[in-house]
Amino acid sequence: MHLWLPMLLASVLAGAGTHGVLARRNAVLVLIGVELILNAANVMFVALGAQDGSPMQTGQTLTLFVITVAAAEICVALAVVLAMFKLQGHIDLSASPLLTSAEDSAVDEEPNR
Amino acid sequence: MTTRDIVFAVLGVIASVSAILAVTTRNLVHAALWLVVGLGTIAGCYVVLGAELVALVQVLIYVGAVVVLVLFALMLTRSPMGPNRDLASPWWQRLLAALLAVSVAVLLAVTLVPLVGEGALESKNGNTKAVSSAIFGTWVWPFELLSVLLLAALIGAFALAKIAGAGLVRRPRRRRVRPAPRRPAPAAADARATETPLPAEPAAAPAGASPSNREGSRS
Amino acid sequence: MSVLTAVTVQLLVVLPAVAALAGLLLRRMRAVSGLVAVVAAAVALVLAVLEFAETAGRSDVVDTFGPLPVGELQIPLTMLADRTSAVIAVAVAIVGLAVQVFSVWYLRDDLRYPVFAATVSLFLAAMLLVVQSGDLVLTLVGWEVMGWCSFLLIGHVSARESARRAAYKAFLVTRVADIGFVLGIVILAGGAGSTEIGTVVAHWTGGSGTSTAALVTGNPTLTAALVLLLSGIAGKSGLVPFHDWLPDAMEGPTPASALIHAATMVAAGTYVVARLHPLFAVDETSRVVLGVLAGLTMVWAALLAFAQSDVKRMLAYSTLSQIAVMASALAFVLAPGEAPGLALGHLFSHAMFKSLLFLAVGWLSVLAGGTAFVALRGRALGRGALYWSLAIGLASLAGLPPLVGFFSKEGVLFAAEESLDGPDAALAWFLLIALVVTVGLTAAYCTRAWLLLTTEREGGLAELEAEEGQAESAEEAAPAGDESPTGAHELRPVTMAAALTVSVLAVLTVVGGLLLIPLGSGIHVGLVMAVVSLVVVGLAFVGVRAMGAAGHDPAALLGPAAADLSDRGFGFDAVYVAVGRAVTALARLVVRLDRDVVDAYPRGTASLTGIAGRAGEKAHRAAPSTGLLAVVLGVVLVAVAGVTVWH
Repeated sequence: MHLWLPMLLASVLAGAGTHGVLARRNAVLVLIGVELILNAANVMFVALGAQDGSPMQTGQTLTLFVITVAAAEICVALAVVLAMFKLQGHIDLSASPLLTSAEDSAVDEEPNR
Repeated sequence: MTTRDIVFAVLGVIASVSAILAVTTRNLVHAALWLVVGLGTIAGCYVVLGAELVALVQVLIYVGAVVVLVLFALMLTRSPMGPNRDLASPWWQRLLAALLAVSVAVLLAVTLVPLVGEGALESKNGNTKAVSSAIFGTWVWPFELLSVLLLAALIGAFALAKIAGAGLVRRPRRRRVRPAPRRPAPAAADARATETPLPAEPAAAPAGASPSNREGSRS
Repeated sequence: MSVLTAVTVQLLVVLPAVAALAGLLLRRMRAVSGLVAVVAAAVALVLAVLEFAETAGRSDVVDTFGPLPVGELQIPLTMLADRTSAVIAVAVAIVGLAVQVFSVWYLRDDLRYPVFAATVSLFLAAMLLVVQSGDLVLTLVGWEVMGWCSFLLIGHVSARESARRAAYKAFLVTRVADIGFVLGIVILAGGAGSTEIGTVVAHWTGGSGTSTAALVTGNPTLTAALVLLLSGIAGKSGLVPFHDWLPDAMEGPTPASALIHAATMVAAGTYVVARLHPLFAVDETSRVVLGVLAGLTMVWAALLAFAQSDVKRMLAYSTLSQIAVMASALAFVLAPGEAPGLALGHLFSHAMFKSLLFLAVGWLSVLAGGTAFVALRGRALGRGALYWSLAIGLASLAGLPPLVGFFSKEGVLFAAEESLDGPDAALAWFLLIALVVTVGLTAAYCTRAWLLLTTEREGGLAELEAEEGQAESAEEAAPAGDESPTGAHELRPVTMAAALTVSVLAVLTVVGGLLLIPLGSGIHVGLVMAVVSLVVVGLAFVGVRAMGAAGHDPAALLGPAAADLSDRGFGFDAVYVAVGRAVTALARLVVRLDRDVVDAYPRGTASLTGIAGRAGEKAHRAAPSTGLLAVVLGVVLVAVAGVTVWH
């Protein structure tokens, strides 16, 4: 089969993933975007690794490693999201971050809109 | 176009469409479910490419574990279950994001497609036996390091949950939620009109249907 | 024919182990588990006799699971069936069967009898494995399993604090000593490239198989290995300084003491040294170490045995002394295979008469309600078979002809005498003197025991005071003799089977001399030494009788302090406790070092990370969405520039 098909798929997935990362406010949806980008990379790996003469089964092995790393990453990222939720009560990424060290100089106590 | 091409093209289209839907739909749970479809289809693509082990692992881990975690997180952060206007970003952000996304996709396509040219995929290069020998032979040290990584992730996640739950982080004084600083001024009024209040402050009267629970943040 | 041997030997080891498992699974059914245990021991005896018949004049190598694939080191896991192993297997099986039959009666009131019987079966399997083993790994396995069974059996009455303590003490002392044993085996096997005993011996003796004299100058590796091995053997066999666990091990039920701490386990060390004797023959240092330890132990233990207030503890010290006698024979080098043969001869005869003595004492203690001498005074009189068993046992221990004890002891004395004009003259003189002194002391405590068991107390003021002192120590010692958790033995008549086993052992003690002949070295009685030893025995007998005239306890003449000191083993227990405390203190120091010194670095990384995190947080103020947009915008711009330039 022609190899440009997987490459095209990878590009589209990467694009979709980037949109997810940039356009979403909910932290979990951003993580969905990240997963899509990782999958794009995986598709590329597998496709290139399936060629003749690919050494040491690099394509598929690295894909498995990326899946593992993605699993670890999403585990920690979701833990952070949950911690954030417990701390702030929301997981909106377009809000200013809540700092835990010494207070900000411009503390505003006005209620939320 | 061989049969494989056609099958791959069909699967690829389904995967792309579900990916795009996953990142654009307003319903949070639908986003996760479209992700399931997308990841499953990508597993199908792997099978077409001859990588059965990777396809299996993809289904097991991505569809089976990662998406479940995502759903859990959505539930636990009390995200609204129905279609929600609250999580819509300002239109300019979405426009910019779309532009950047398209440029990323185009850049990648322009780089990768000429790279492989008309390369064709004939052989069944990576059968499972060869891949397994490679993993436990050539790649055994990265494999072991990955175990350590997983352990570190496990410990980290556990520690985070514990710290957040026990409230060991010093609770700061509550701050108002400021909109993004670099917004152009005239658009601010529009933004405020379109944006519905976020469930951030306990004093806020939530206008939207966000049933955020304050108890969690007040421990 | 060799297939039969192979099957015999394999069954010999496997059957008692299977019986142990079966006994454990069937432990709710008392009669069945007892039957399984006795039948297994009986079949083991039959198999051992069969092996004896088959190994007339030849030896066989028997495979077990096949070699372990360990790379360069060969671990063939073979067993060896030759005359020596057959005779010792017969001895072990006889004692095992006697103990199993006897404990059916002895532990009739014990609720945990099935567990006891199963543990004894397991022990038999382990001991037979050591005896039949042709491979150092199998020896080690059997050795350690024996140690564990010993722990279980000593602490059988686990409700009693003193029994638990004695079990721990035995286990820990022998285990610490076994460190040296394992290291010795590792060095020997590592040097030879194989764990098979024949190969190891051939390698370290330069291929000559058996050397008749220490021709080569010592190989320091071999010396180190053998000395380490000796430490393990000293632990199991109770040579100084690892001896103090054995008297305390008398907390276990008497049949267990008969099997383990008299006849078999404590002699396993002698067996292992006998098997590896060609190595000791070429290395003088190890023989000197062995000889010195043996000589010291035999005299010291015999001294302590005299003033004991508990008959079982007396027998324990006597065992220590006799094991040392056995071990001392191995310090000599005579004709190839002769010295080990003499040592094994004494092992065989000691197994017979010591188990006889223990079982007879057990029988007596049931009738009298305790094992303290005070409780047992004069109880042996008029008991028929029991009286004669005790008489034969004590006489054999003292070394009176024509009992088996005489012949085996004379064998050891012969070995010492023959070496007087060899290269080990100093060692031989030392051991000869020690042996003669031991013979005298042995006769002394045997006479004392005999007097105490067969003569009633007579009145007298000095007598009464001595009795008082003894009674107090006896009260402390009396609980040691009670095996039932309630602390009281019920008087119950002995069964025919139990009495029969004791009688059979007595008969074997009488005719055992004949059985010594096939042991490869035959019977050696040197005329001079025989006369010397008989004279010494006679003198001791007369002397102690005089001390015990008019119904006194002969030890009373030494004063009450002597009895107390001997009972406590001269406070040697405190040494073990001190060693334990030192090790614990060292462990605490290590924990503190680990926690405060080594662990501080990982904890430091955690604090560092926290600091870095807070610093990064201060530098980062934007909302995440905006930040992401900016980053990706920048990346895309750079990429566009790059791609256009590239194209």
